[in-house]
Amino acid sequence: MSPRLRRLLFLACCALVLPAVLHVAAHMPRFGDHSMPYGDLINAVALAERHTTNMVSAINFDYRGFDTLGEEMMLLCAVGGATVLLRGSRGETESEPQRVPGRPIIARADSTVLASRLFGAVVILFGLYVVLHAMTTPGGGFQGGAIIASGLLCVFLGEGYPGWRRVAPSELFDALEGGGAALYALCGFASLVMGLPFLQNMLPFGQKGDLFSGGLMQFENAGVGAAVTGGFVILLIEFLEETREPVPDGDEEGDDP
Amino acid sequence: MSLLLPLLLLVAITGTAIVFSRVPRRQVVAIAANGIALSLLFMAFQAPDVAFAELAAGSAVTPLLFLVVLASVRTDLTTERVERPDGEEDAAS
Amino acid sequence: MSAVLHAPPVTLLPWLVAAWLFGIGLYGIVTSRHYVHLIGCLGVVQASTYVLLLAVGYRWNATAPIFYSHPPGRAVDPVVQALVLTDIVIGVTVTALLLALVLQLHKRKGTLDPERVRPMQP
Repeated sequence: MSPRLRRLLFLACCALVLPAVLHVAAHMPRFGDHSMPYGDLINAVALAERHTTNMVSAINFDYRGFDTLGEEMMLLCAVGGATVLLRGSRGETESEPQRVPGRPIIARADSTVLASRLFGAVVILFGLYVVLHAMTTPGGGFQGGAIIASGLLCVFLGEGYPGWRRVAPSELFDALEGGGAALYALCGFASLVMGLPFLQNMLPFGQKGDLFSGGLMQFENAGVGAAVTGGFVILLIEFLEETREPVPDGDEEGDDP
Repeated sequence: MSLLLPLLLLVAITGTAIVFSRVPRRQVVAIAANGIALSLLFMAFQAPDVAFAELAAGSAVTPLLFLVVLASVRTDLTTERVERPDGEEDAAS
Repeated sequence: MSAVLHAPPVTLLPWLVAAWLFGIGLYGIVTSRHYVHLIGCLGVVQASTYVLLLAVGYRWNATAPIFYSHPPGRAVDPVVQALVLTDIVIGVTVTALLLALVLQLHKRKGTLDPERVRPMQP
């Protein structure tokens, strides 16, 4: 099919579907002004039942905890699949940091290095803060893990590729990714061992608004945080490794792509 | 509340920009811009949790993954072009 | 200001923006000539679901579903927020998986143009 014909076909389909879309949009529940029974119920009872002040975390780790286990496994599978695809062609052996062939090595300005070090440290610290405050204020393992991973990117910006690989050893983040997912699953099995339903919270819920409230949710949150951090950093390591070519007797200093 | 209107339009515009920037290297900028616009919209939707995730994932990690893939496609070309007799030029560079 | 926003065309806007993002992303996928560009367009389609879900859960004059400093009251729907939150993070890893497939394709076929990729030989 020629691109032109395909475009025409697509536009014809759009013209066909457009009236239906407009009809549906006109008959949607009134924006911002309709009943939402499930959400309202959780907003009303979760603080009393689970002692967490962040409803989103309460849903993620308790009311829909089993769903999050599924998400966790999707994360593991996607990261594992990407890693296998990339390592499969490159070989499993842990390579030395390589440099990109045919690229000039440009020394970084001192100000860049300083700014990256400062920002990297602050962003990683903020990510840890966000992970820890899952039960009280906006935050949690999913967001915090992503923030920590982007903080580690600052290290890459400032130190260059070899420095980044020293800071982020592949084995550590492999272990974080697998260990985090395992911790989440083990939380579920711990409930089973106690004779309760899967992922039932059996620890004391603690003080409302306290950093360590929420009982079992704390551990699930830590598992998710570790898994997301590990998964993102593994992906970055593997993709960045893909831009490197082995150079015999290559010099130490690499450069970013 | 009056924030929602311009932010929704901003998200629509940046999303359209992603589609119509056909050069992947320029598309990366549009992806990052769309990530920031989306996270602002999520703030306006009273969803700070989602805004955090979108800010870190959509405007930092995803664009970097795209950039790295484009870079490795380019280095791949320099090493493999010799072996490829078909001589097809690549749209990446 | 609130009265202006309550006018019917404006309350339609979130649904229309979601539909627009879906349609334009699909258009990009259909007409794409570069696989990396195609994955970027897939991200636009994904963003349309975020906008739709959060718009469904929105409520006028309501606070975020965080009751740290005030007692539970009128708040937006936290369920859709939890759905979108996990999907964003999973979406990044799935994008990475697709990008890894693209890299493999480039190694095997030497091209990233969907038009030039021939069907696989058995």
